[in-house]
Amino acid sequence: MVSRRDFFKITGTVAGTAALTAVGAEASAPHPKLDPDRFGVLTDTTLCIGCRRCEWACAEQNDLPHGDLESFGDTSVFDLMRRPDAESYTVVNRYSPPAGTDQPLDVKVQCLHCEHPACVSACIVGALVKSPQGPVIYDAWKCIGCRYCMIACPFQIPAYEYADPLTPRIMKCTMCSERTLAEGRPPACVEMCPPEALVFGRRSELLELAHRRIMENPDRYHPEVIGEHIAGGTSWLMITDRPAAEIDIPELSNESPAVITETIQHGIFKGFTGPLMLFGILGILMKSSSDKRKEKEDENG
Amino acid sequence: MRNSSIFRLLFIGLFLIAAPNWTLGQIVDPLHPKDPRHAPAMEKVTTCASCHKCDHPTQDDPCMIHCPRHGSHFYGQHEADEGPEIVIIDQLADLYRPVVFAHRLHADMSNMTGGCENCHHYSEQSGVIPPCRECHDAAKGPVSLNQPALKGAYHRQCMNCHRDWSHESACGFCHEQVHEGIGAAVADTTDIVGIPHPIIEAVPTYTYETSYEKGALVTFHHNDHVDMFGLNCVDCHRGDSCSRCHDTGKSQVQRLNHLTTCCACHGERNCAFCHTTDPKPMFEHTHTAGWALDPHHTDVACNTCHGSPQDFRTPSDKCTSCHIHWEDGAFDHKVTGLVLSEDHLDLDCSDCHLEMDFGTRPSCEDCHDEPMLPDKLPGTRL
Repeated sequence: MVSRRDFFKITGTVAGTAALTAVGAEASAPHPKLDPDRFGVLTDTTLCIGCRRCEWACAEQNDLPHGDLESFGDTSVFDLMRRPDAESYTVVNRYSPPAGTDQPLDVKVQCLHCEHPACVSACIVGALVKSPQGPVIYDAWKCIGCRYCMIACPFQIPAYEYADPLTPRIMKCTMCSERTLAEGRPPACVEMCPPEALVFGRRSELLELAHRRIMENPDRYHPEVIGEHIAGGTSWLMITDRPAAEIDIPELSNESPAVITETIQHGIFKGFTGPLMLFGILGILMKSSSDKRKEKEDENG
Repeated sequence: MRNSSIFRLLFIGLFLIAAPNWTLGQIVDPLHPKDPRHAPAMEKVTTCASCHKCDHPTQDDPCMIHCPRHGSHFYGQHEADEGPEIVIIDQLADLYRPVVFAHRLHADMSNMTGGCENCHHYSEQSGVIPPCRECHDAAKGPVSLNQPALKGAYHRQCMNCHRDWSHESACGFCHEQVHEGIGAAVADTTDIVGIPHPIIEAVPTYTYETSYEKGALVTFHHNDHVDMFGLNCVDCHRGDSCSRCHDTGKSQVQRLNHLTTCCACHGERNCAFCHTTDPKPMFEHTHTAGWALDPHHTDVACNTCHGSPQDFRTPSDKCTSCHIHWEDGAFDHKVTGLVLSEDHLDLDCSDCHLEMDFGTRPSCEDCHDEPMLPDKLPGTRL
């Protein structure tokens, strides 16, 4: 007779082994099919002047509630570190000046449009999609409001319209996909940026540009292109004068968080092996216990 | 026969289809050699007008658009007065009114900190400075990954300094916003237009206290360097921004880097040359060289004998090391303002100027019994 505890031990081991085997076999999980010419944006924080005009342009483009243009000249917002929220897809934060100068470092924050996004992976209804051209696009019609994407995002970007009781949406930067994908025009923030601290283009070319800038001005930049590798790479790239952790970019592995969860889940169900094994073992156990019962009954009978 | 003409037609047809897709980068053309530095730019070239100003460029007159894509090149000397008084920047007026840029004032200020090339990073070899828009595209967003568009170029240029001294990025400092219903129009000229920058009166002497134990004091005689040694402002203040003076909240780090600035000229001196325990007196030629400049050398510029400050040399203290034509007999005493009388003409210099010391007045007593000077002279004054 198999005790209840042994039963869980056996099934647990089998399932775990199956999953781990799957993880090993699928270490390089299938990435979404991305266009080699996909778009991206490069933020050069050393050029940013902290004018916050990108915030205005974004709000204007995406019909977000906002004040007039001049109200964005208010620099008192820099007193606090801000995050994108349900009413703003992007915000600029101010950090202390680099050593030897008095000019602060201003950093624009928005969705980085991961190459292999955890939010897309977590979305159970496919409301979030990674476009092969770069942007991570949201479809409010499909969204059921589970907010798994908010938990999944390693950069804590998606926000939720809690204030809207009837038709709340997930709110995050779309890389102005209606402009970038349909018309090939740069996102509103890029077009607005006065010192052109933001550049829109092919991600591959932007990477080249970023590395060139770092190589040509080694004193000006920290030698790392944020977004080249972090969390499996992002479409939005950044170069800055200090390590990423100092501008509140979380320390993440170079593998997308979605890869781990997807390999476990997909591994278990691949070819239906996991469930078949589980139910196979269950069947054998049931068979053996019913045989034993029969023997007992026969003995007694 | 028929077959070959069909092939020919086919060939021509294929050529016509393929030809428009060719770009300059793929054409093997002796006039457009594949310079690796230009390769990224050439790949994006689609029309002749991307590089040439005129419709029919020739080898003799390629009429190239001058674009300093690789480093800056600036030729010629320009005065602040040469440029326009004000420049109205209106190519991009959209959300804001055109910017009234006080060019003369900025040129004036730049004269103190590095000259025209502070902003104009390129000029033609003839000295002509092309307008920014000749190279920087007036499109709204950045069009090329290699260089900023016009908007980016302007803002980077202006904000680099303005942000430094005002500690803010207020658009309204340069721009007046276009309100609804009002079209873009030239804003009022600001009150600073037309007023030259006041002449800066520097402190004659700065004394710095340093942490150097053997000589805590560094005395810097600003007037010596400017008036006596003839240095220009930009020789030391190259690349300074306005905030060097106008930013009252500046920190210590913004001071001129004395190490690199002073050592550019005094690099071969030892520490004690600048670092002293007591304040260093002002420059005095008698003290440093051993003979006074007064009276005959007071008007001689330092660089006549010592070369430029960057290439300083110390000639020997013999007159003939400079006055090479003053070999025996060739010296005309008239240049001193005194024409020697015939009695004195044949004498040797050292007969009167004992030990060839030309700094002190000769005495007459060595030859003459009674003191002759100052009543009687060995000649006549001019």
